Amino acid sequence: MEQKAIYELLAGKIGAAALGFNDEGVESYAEVAPEKIAEAALFLRDEEQLGFNQLMCLSGIDWDGFDENGKGKSVAILGYSADGKPETSDRVGEGDLGVAYSLYSHEKKHKFTMRVRVSRERAVVPTVIDVWSTAGWHEREAWDLLGIRFEGHPDLRRMLLEEDWVGHPLRKDYQMPGQWEQVPLEGKDMTASPFTPTSTPTTGPTPGAEG
Amino acid sequence: MATEETKMNSGWADQDQVPGIKSELMELNMGPQHPATHGVLRLLLETDGEIVYKVTPVLGYLHRCAEKIAEGINYKQWVIYTDRFDYLAPMCCNHAYVTAVEKLMDVEVPERAEHLRVVAAELSRIASHLIALATFGLDMGAWTPLLYCFREREVILDLLERIAGGRMLYNYMVPGGVRYDVPDERWVSDVLEFITMLETKKIKDYNQLLSYNKIFIGRLGNVAVISKQDAFDYGCTGPVLRGSGVKFDCRKDDPYSVYHKFDFDVPVGMGEMGTVGDCWDRYMVRVREIEEACKIVRQALDSLPGGSCQAIELKKPVKVPAGAAYSRTESAKGEMGHYIISDGGQTPFRNKVRSPSFCNLQVIEKVGVGQMVSDLVAFVGSLDIVLGEIDR
Repeated sequence: MEQKAIYELLAGKIGAAALGFNDEGVESYAEVAPEKIAEAALFLRDEEQLGFNQLMCLSGIDWDGFDENGKGKSVAILGYSADGKPETSDRVGEGDLGVAYSLYSHEKKHKFTMRVRVSRERAVVPTVIDVWSTAGWHEREAWDLLGIRFEGHPDLRRMLLEEDWVGHPLRKDYQMPGQWEQVPLEGKDMTASPFTPTSTPTTGPTPGAEG
Repeated sequence: MATEETKMNSGWADQDQVPGIKSELMELNMGPQHPATHGVLRLLLETDGEIVYKVTPVLGYLHRCAEKIAEGINYKQWVIYTDRFDYLAPMCCNHAYVTAVEKLMDVEVPERAEHLRVVAAELSRIASHLIALATFGLDMGAWTPLLYCFREREVILDLLERIAGGRMLYNYMVPGGVRYDVPDERWVSDVLEFITMLETKKIKDYNQLLSYNKIFIGRLGNVAVISKQDAFDYGCTGPVLRGSGVKFDCRKDDPYSVYHKFDFDVPVGMGEMGTVGDCWDRYMVRVREIEEACKIVRQALDSLPGGSCQAIELKKPVKVPAGAAYSRTESAKGEMGHYIISDGGQTPFRNKVRSPSFCNLQVIEKVGVGQMVSDLVAFVGSLDIVLGEIDR
């Protein structure tokens, strides 16, 4: 089925919660209001003409500092600087967070992408774990790495990082830790030359001089 | 200690209990340093004797946050990180990534490069499946097949070394083509010779040694059955999905690269030794896929076109037009997908990796319940996971 037709079916079901359809890029997507995402997901799975029985991918996104003009001028992430110390910045993250759902129907052989956007201050999206069980781990990962809370998820623990890790690394304003459990995470100082002489070489015997 | 709810769900509460004596489930750690978990996977089991009532996988021991690294370096530099996802089939991971980048770039890749990619990816797939058979046999107590499988894998590593320069981590494909052309005509004939040997002799050996071994079948038939419904629900892909009787393969159903040109079958589990979707079915799908991969390699090399194998100059970083797309390929373990968001620059704004093992493993939370501990070992082996791509 055509992407546009799928969107229209979806919009007929959830009404004003279908915020728009974008087919300008390589892949079209529908923008859905976060409150209605679980309802939309259930409809997409159970509606006979659609039958989206596989959630291929669920990606959390941090839109902070995104260059909307497509010039590649997004805000750079903070890493470790050349001397091995974590880079710091006073900039406060301000963009929205988002989730993209890539769906596929094994029966009808069509795909569909939905996106939601939530504010950084209240990053809460209803879970779709009741619709596709595979969302369970994907959502835990998105919570772990991006700090998006999935309401109704029965087991929203960190997925890949330690339970006591501070922060969500895939956020654009995340600062790399300088240490973890008293272990310094500093890199090697790359500014110093490895060939700097430490002492002046002593003069050895000239070859053939002792002859 | 299991919660009351778990006990009810698993039927544990119904079991005969001596009045006045309180019993509880035993917690058992399987892994992270355990040979049967195929890497640093930790399974937290709640058991009653030999019966497992709850499985909680604990992940992250190999987490490197490659997705964060991707946001700091350019597209071509990140290819080496894809090698390290599924380190048993790095060519497939390379292929998945470059396909995703090229989908956004809309670049015409030379036919020759596509053919070489297919050959490399299929050889990698064979190597990965050989490891799957070998270690699975080892899990079941069969030592000999391991040596046989590793012997053939060694030949593949040598062949790939000759074309890519590395034995395990290749960094072979780049957006727009492949790094190196075929070293010489000898390479092509050597690959064909190896493929023929594999098809005519070696697969028969594996079947005699392992596949139709009575003890092996006894351990695997009817064990850990994944139903079709569960497989869809948990997003299983690859041999795990096909083992459950679903004829789905991205190479056929969502073709990418030049796979549409080749003639090959998609083997599915048929429940020959028990129920459709049991461990033996998943295992056998892999054996049959080796044969199919051999067919693809032969066709790709027989029709290898001439010309260049790079569309973009190698040393130049690529610029990807703004946009977002999800692109998927069939890696050795299943559907390897990348959701890339580009802001029009040389660095991805976001690169989410959907790895097949990550999704396949999740089904253990459901299907693992009620199994014997020893059957759980068989189950994990039959899923054929690689922790490099689970933890990323």
